[in-house]
Amino acid sequence: MGFESLLKELAGKFDSKINGYTQYGCNFINAPADIAKEVLKSLKCDYGFTYLVDIVAIHWPKKNEKFELSYNLFNVDKKLRVFVKVALAEPEFETVTDIWKSADFLEREQYDLVGVTFKGHPDLRRILMPDFFEGHPLRKEYGLKDRSWFNSVDEQNLGIKFTK
Amino acid sequence: MENISTKDNLSEIITVNMGPQHPSTHGVLRLVVDLDGETIVDVRPDVGFLHRGVEKLAENRTYHQFIPLTDRLDYLSPLSNNLGYCLAVEKFFNVKIPERAEYLRVIFAELARAASHLVWIATHALDIGAMTVFLYAFRERELILDMFEIATGQRMTSSWIRIGGIREDVPPLFLEKLKEFVSIFDERIDTYERLLTKNRIWLKRTVGVGYLSKEDALSYGVSGPIMRGSGVDFDLRRDEPYGIYDRFEFDVPVREEGDIYARYQVRVEEMRQANRILKQALEQIPEGPVMTDDPRVAMPSHQEVYERMEALIRRFYLISKGFKTPKGETYACVEAPKGELGYYIVSNGEERPYRLKIRAPSFVNLGAINKMAKGAMVADLVGIIGSVDIVLGEIDR
Amino acid sequence: MGVMEHKFSDNIITATVDGVINWARRSSLWPVTFGLACCAIEMMAVGASKYDLDRLGVIFRATPRQADLMIVAGTVTRKMAPVVRKVYDQMPEPKWVIAMGSCATSGGIFDTYSTVQGADEIVPVDFYIPGCPPRPEALLDAIVALQEKIKGNKVLRK
Repeated sequence: MGFESLLKELAGKFDSKINGYTQYGCNFINAPADIAKEVLKSLKCDYGFTYLVDIVAIHWPKKNEKFELSYNLFNVDKKLRVFVKVALAEPEFETVTDIWKSADFLEREQYDLVGVTFKGHPDLRRILMPDFFEGHPLRKEYGLKDRSWFNSVDEQNLGIKFTK
Repeated sequence: MENISTKDNLSEIITVNMGPQHPSTHGVLRLVVDLDGETIVDVRPDVGFLHRGVEKLAENRTYHQFIPLTDRLDYLSPLSNNLGYCLAVEKFFNVKIPERAEYLRVIFAELARAASHLVWIATHALDIGAMTVFLYAFRERELILDMFEIATGQRMTSSWIRIGGIREDVPPLFLEKLKEFVSIFDERIDTYERLLTKNRIWLKRTVGVGYLSKEDALSYGVSGPIMRGSGVDFDLRRDEPYGIYDRFEFDVPVREEGDIYARYQVRVEEMRQANRILKQALEQIPEGPVMTDDPRVAMPSHQEVYERMEALIRRFYLISKGFKTPKGETYACVEAPKGELGYYIVSNGEERPYRLKIRAPSFVNLGAINKMAKGAMVADLVGIIGSVDIVLGEIDR
Repeated sequence: MGVMEHKFSDNIITATVDGVINWARRSSLWPVTFGLACCAIEMMAVGASKYDLDRLGVIFRATPRQADLMIVAGTVTRKMAPVVRKVYDQMPEPKWVIAMGSCATSGGIFDTYSTVQGADEIVPVDFYIPGCPPRPEALLDAIVALQEKIKGNKVLRK
């Protein structure tokens, strides 16, 4: 099964609502947000994409659909890799933790850094930044050197004052 | 906590904090462990103690300037990280890499794999209580680091693989040392195996501990030796070949058992296979340039800069302003020592990546630790962490 | 020595209290294993076979309670900062700190929203080692320099 035939089958299944293209050696599938979860589920259950490699959330402040998710899927038997791209107007999407368990950490990371909420995630907490941190560092408006939050909380009452 | 009850309903569940300052967490990992007596009920990893903002930094660096930051992700095998990143950027341009550079990339990547696995076997054995292996493995690691130093001038964070090739050709001494190294390395691996493979204590601590089934391995998205230790026959070098890996003969070790011992066997065999690839690369490596002459990405050599004005201008331009990539998205991944290391680059048509996401193998592998540790004894947790072979630099980024 | 000479039998050495205590302290510097990032691997390499820190009396201890030297080997982030301070507070006096590598010295290349710009924001540092990561020889040099520093300590007459 190549990418072309996969695309044809998927287009038939989802009334041509999805389209795909190959760019710089990578296969992309664009799926509208309302059916994206169904597409992902179908890819896992019907087409053997049992390995969810990665989830990437991208912030596009200047576009109408301000957020974009990219699911990196791999079919271990057929050695085929596809990226399912979902454009979102609001930073909110359904979780895929019920399809792949690896989504647990990956979604938590994107929630923490980009601020996309995954509905139905069993334990959506910050994973890399401390709990008292506010904001999402990988949003475009967040400054690279914004260390103003350092002194906001002294979580262990040690009296540390950061000056730089 | 209320819904968990202990086996005999007499004792209570104790929550124990492990880390981030703990000798066996391999860095600054924190685990919150729920214990029923000595049995692990639940493990909740808490990461982020080394989150340095690499992905944000990438958006503020030119494509060349980001290479040194990749070194500091998985700091046990910096050159594999360089390779993955450079492959991703090269995909935008479809650059043809010179033959010699391709071979040197393979040599560097396999040496990095050996170096990383040596630290793994050293610390993993040390955690379980075998001190001798630590001293032996670091002895060999020093040999590899010496070679890196001869070739690149740095022991660890060398940033030597560049977009379009490698920075500069290796001196003849490097290949001599490499020849020496490949001739002794197999024997040295035998030494470690003599210390561990049939060691009764080692077997008792590892066989049947930290089990992960094949289905779970796929579902949790683990990659690398853990995946292969659970019976999934998958290696990016063979199944999605990058560079010139399709020219080499090597086996992909797979074990069905899915326990710590299986992962140990896979990694030891991977060291042997790395040595096998190194031997073939040494035989086949041709002479020639090591940097592509594609003017879009290639940095002119120092020699050229001294002789030609145009080269000087181009170098100045590439360094001060960087080069633009075409709009679009691409992904490249390599089989790093820890698993699938990928770089997803979103380009806006500027000199800097619009968004760069690093798919860190350790991060995803750590997600399966709860599955592996549930039901094990608390003393085995240290062995399980060791067998996952985490590096906090790439987990937290 | 004049007056003291030949007053005791051959089995006795005379020395100052400072001299003896400082000799003991500098010959048994026990650092706490506090690897944070890349530099920790070089720190391990210094402790391993080729560089062999044991010959300087430096033996890594896994607990701060038994240590008198903290080698901050790696990047200190905001999330880690209280832990660094806590480990330092748990060490018994006298104690010293070596900031190993650029990150621990000044934040290094990680001038970002989450990185503390130097370990000296949190704990007092005695020696800074440049390098990313520093060579093992550099760490050895810092330890020898620290031993020299300890030589000059005045234990009883502060």
